[in-house]
Amino acid sequence: MGGDYAPEEIVKGAVLAAQKDDVEIFLVGTASVVERELAKHKSITNGSYIHIVGASEFIKENESPVDVIRRKPNCSVAVAAKMVKSGEADALFSAGSSGAAAISAIQFIGMVDGVYRPALVGSLGSFASNTVMVDLGANVDCKPYQFLTFAIAGSVYAKKFLNIADPKIALLSTGSEESKGSDAVREAYSLLKSSGLNFIGNIEGGDILNGKANVIVCDGFVGNVLLKFYESIAGHAQVWTERKLRKYPPLPALARLVFKQLFPATKISSETEKQGGGILWGVDGVVKIAHGASRAPQIANAIESAKEAVKAGVVESFKSELARFNQGGKL
Amino acid sequence: MNVEEQIKDILARITRVDKSIISRQSTFKDIKADSLDVVQALVAVEETFGIEIPDEEAQKFQNFGDFVSYVESRVPQKEKV
Repeated sequence: MGGDYAPEEIVKGAVLAAQKDDVEIFLVGTASVVERELAKHKSITNGSYIHIVGASEFIKENESPVDVIRRKPNCSVAVAAKMVKSGEADALFSAGSSGAAAISAIQFIGMVDGVYRPALVGSLGSFASNTVMVDLGANVDCKPYQFLTFAIAGSVYAKKFLNIADPKIALLSTGSEESKGSDAVREAYSLLKSSGLNFIGNIEGGDILNGKANVIVCDGFVGNVLLKFYESIAGHAQVWTERKLRKYPPLPALARLVFKQLFPATKISSETEKQGGGILWGVDGVVKIAHGASRAPQIANAIESAKEAVKAGVVESFKSELARFNQGGKL
Repeated sequence: MNVEEQIKDILARITRVDKSIISRQSTFKDIKADSLDVVQALVAVEETFGIEIPDEEAQKFQNFGDFVSYVESRVPQKEKV
């Protein structure tokens, strides 16, 4: 059990989720610590389905996530992944090391055939509610065919969660021409062009929010930098606006109110906030990871949305979409 | 299939490169294998041959040839065919 506020907020979030939803939760971690934390909620957990699964190890901050495989195969996130693989659990959620969660998922749950590494897909929320971006940070260096699996994951997400029947897919590059971009991006362009997906070509940074594309494909390095920049825009715009208006009271106070109303957490990416994190697409099971700084409400949301993902059959949808576009053995 | 071919198959499957580009002189970097690929390959090789490859030994592998030689030295003779 990881996370900046573990175990308190994680256990509290699990209790919240169990209270409002019909969900069975296994808390995996050092048994005595989790038991002590759960006991604080004893009066409200009676009758709900929260179990404790002991795990003797955990990944420390200074350890490499890769250590999960050979040095700590019994750490909490690995145990949780093995429970998904065996069918004891339907989904895995972690607010601990994202790398350790991803590596546990790859090694102990396994990838869907044809997928090399998992990807993070997310809706851009407020400014471009019909647009998702993938990869948001799971793969810093990407091989060209990975962009194809990103496009398929984004397409399934747009269909399932945004109700877009035939999502338009674009590749993020430095120009609209096929010849623009890094070697990997140019090679990915060729693959996407011949994929049979609804690929509309390259778009530039200026097109991200104009709704031109429903699925924007990029590597995880670009996606993560963009996501964090995007999430910071509202906060900076609020400060800038208040400064510009400070000679005209009460306009700065009014501006603050408007921003607070429009962007509750001073974050634009309200979808990510609402869902409490992102699914690792491409894993052969539902795996959800959240910001380490998540508090109980986000943890509860994440658990709820992981359950929704299981119910919606996102993994099966991804597999069948992948099979449809992989008939020529492109992956 | 001999040890070298089996390891080549494992490495090609994990890193998703064409096995024809892997030679005894290839480094992990040459075949664009990252740290996760390497660890997955080590685990798969350990399981395939029923051996253990300590981290200290794995860290000494300069290229694919070193990896193969180490495994060959640990695998019982009959399996080397």
